[in-house]
Amino acid sequence: MSRLNEVFKKLYKIGLVVTFAYFLLFLFYDIHNLDNNRKRYLSAHYISEGVQETGAINLVASVLYDYRAFDTLGEATMILTAATVLAFLVPISKATTFGTTFKSIVKQTVKLILPYLAVLGTYLILFGHVSPGGGFVGGVVLSIIAILLTITYSVEFSEYIVKPDQKKLVEDIGAIGFVLLGLLGVFTGSNFLANGQAYFGTGNAGEVFSAGLIPFINVMIGLKVGAGLAIIFNSLIKEK
Amino acid sequence: MINIVFYLLLLFLIITAFFMVFTKDLSNSVITLPLFGAILVIIFVILQAPGVALAGAIMTAGLTTAFFVITINKTEY
Repeated sequence: MSRLNEVFKKLYKIGLVVTFAYFLLFLFYDIHNLDNNRKRYLSAHYISEGVQETGAINLVASVLYDYRAFDTLGEATMILTAATVLAFLVPISKATTFGTTFKSIVKQTVKLILPYLAVLGTYLILFGHVSPGGGFVGGVVLSIIAILLTITYSVEFSEYIVKPDQKKLVEDIGAIGFVLLGLLGVFTGSNFLANGQAYFGTGNAGEVFSAGLIPFINVMIGLKVGAGLAIIFNSLIKEK
Repeated sequence: MINIVFYLLLLFLIITAFFMVFTKDLSNSVITLPLFGAILVIIFVILQAPGVALAGAIMTAGLTTAFFVITINKTEY
């Protein structure tokens, strides 16, 4: 009887998940088909006019850093707030090490991998407007360098290579630089964070130095996300 | 051909998601998460969304797994 009860409980759980998924599907299907023609004009405009208006071949970057750059500012501020609060709240105690120490194979492999990770992260940041990638992804790759150092060697070694004060400085440079770059649009007589509308000259689409503000915003976001995630990880690992 | 692969990948996605939620062992669940992410990345590449695929590969397979492993290491004593 108790076995039957257990089976029934498991079926009940699975049934709950399936019902939830079915209702979500129903909801999204209904929303998606609300009004086909009227909902599509914005995406059609982005797809047909995006390259001419912003100069970025990567249309995702043109939406993230030009049309909807204010949302990106909000997201980046969220990461800044999380990193700041974590670094403030978590007490500075001696970091506890893991149960087992790594053999030299792992350490040598990590030593080999790290330069490639640095090059990959920089490439993803600098070429964010001509190829897939961008500030967030490149920043995460750069932060993985510090995370790998922390996991493989120790917190002390990682903080000896990249000092916490340097990381905080880099994150602040990213945060303030984003806002200052946005103010550039105001000074040229347009809106905050304006790029294509502010007549900077977007350059030839497809070159590295093109698309107006987008590469610089990418660099700022990359610095901020990379330093912020490294700070978050090192603060969390220091917690007892 | 690509349709069959696509539907198989979707099936595996559902299987890994259910395994991740309903398994008893926490470490099994955490190790299944990057598997789920990898399958999702292949689906994104098939659907021609390389930007989302890059972000998913780095976030799900790299960062989230590291954070979860550290969390389990810190809490289970």
